[in-house]
Amino acid sequence: MRPLVPTPLIAMISIVVSITFTNIVQADDAAAKAIHIANEVCAGCHGVDGNSLVPTFPKLAGQQKVYLLRELTDYKTGKRVSETMAPFMESLTLEDLPHLAAYYAKQKPAPGVVSNPSLLAVGKTLFLQGNSNTDVPSCDSCHEEDGSGSGKFPRVAGQHSEYALEQFRLYATGKRTNGARVMKAVAERMSEEETRAVAEYMASMP
Amino acid sequence: MNRPQLSSALALIAGIIFTCQAAHAEFKQPHATGIETYGYAWNSPDQDMNRALAHKADAGKGEAAYKVCKGCHKPDGAGLAEADYPQLAGQHASVIIKQMMDIRAGRRDNPRMYPFSGEWIVSAEEIADIAAYLNQLPFPTTNGKGNGYNLPRGKALYLKDCASCHGKTGEGDAKKFYPMVAGQHFSYLKRETRESRDHGRRNASPEMVKVLKNYSDADVEAVSDYMSRLNIVR
Repeated sequence: MRPLVPTPLIAMISIVVSITFTNIVQADDAAAKAIHIANEVCAGCHGVDGNSLVPTFPKLAGQQKVYLLRELTDYKTGKRVSETMAPFMESLTLEDLPHLAAYYAKQKPAPGVVSNPSLLAVGKTLFLQGNSNTDVPSCDSCHEEDGSGSGKFPRVAGQHSEYALEQFRLYATGKRTNGARVMKAVAERMSEEETRAVAEYMASMP
Repeated sequence: MNRPQLSSALALIAGIIFTCQAAHAEFKQPHATGIETYGYAWNSPDQDMNRALAHKADAGKGEAAYKVCKGCHKPDGAGLAEADYPQLAGQHASVIIKQMMDIRAGRRDNPRMYPFSGEWIVSAEEIADIAAYLNQLPFPTTNGKGNGYNLPRGKALYLKDCASCHGKTGEGDAKKFYPMVAGQHFSYLKRETRESRDHGRRNASPEMVKVLKNYSDADVEAVSDYMSRLNIVR
């Protein structure tokens, strides 16, 4: 008796099914591993969902995936240097990083804390208009009007002002050198008051 | 401190200074030869520029890539008169490409813009896309203008010396990389014309510099005022 479905076709279908299934399982495995890493390696400083409680450690929840992956890769390859991050990065492989970036990008960012509301007006003006007297471009052109960022330009809305201030300082003094040419110029041109004000305004953005 | 300790401390300090300088130098605009150099040829072929010119430009992609520019040149491309940020809306794509590449290569000195114009932030292809995007933006009429006191003098100078290249209505020439000057901010035109006369704009055309040689500051101002008021019907 002839089979209802020819054998080669069954073989083909089963190969396709098994390849697809393997891919899904592998992707699931990697995502599960990313969650495991986030919990075991990163959560201590950055919080389980990427909303760090300590204001010197950046919030990662809702961060742009492209930006996060670049930063993680730069930490891994030594282009971005942090004594605090170094020992934790050692336990990660380059293959882990895209999944980790995807995990944090999907988390819901918690609102930031404003410590000096009197600076918000100055911060808002600089963020949306820049300062043409000192050639500081407006921040919203790259980081978007709502501070959500896009692609390689990081989300800044709701970020801890302490962390943001430290980054401005590192850029201005040439100590943060990865992806820094634009931000070095910006940070150098900003006054101390403008820097504080913008950090407060960014923290205030939902 | 004994001698070996002292010398190793000095070596350490020297090392730190050297490292800092090296890190700093990396961010500085390069310096290429320009009009101040004997044998300078205007608009000589450039690899970066050829790549941009050969690219099939996409204005849609250009709108996205324009992101880094609009912090100063504004979303409508109008720039900012009081800060001498040129207006770019409607400018010829070839002109934008040439000027960008001149800044990237250090043929046109612009430390203000250089950090925002390098290949780390925009590729040659993206520059072509941005140029195509800007070219199709509506021509603005709200640009900064001069005081209007010397317009007949400005007109006479323009028609005698400038119109043959930049066009009777200031439309420029895309094929020849001559910028559209109509509707440009007076403050920017004045600064660039004066800089060209004084060899400060090092990528200027020698022909133009020759013409400008005898211009007084008042002439520069008059012709800039006239150009800022030219209006192109597109």
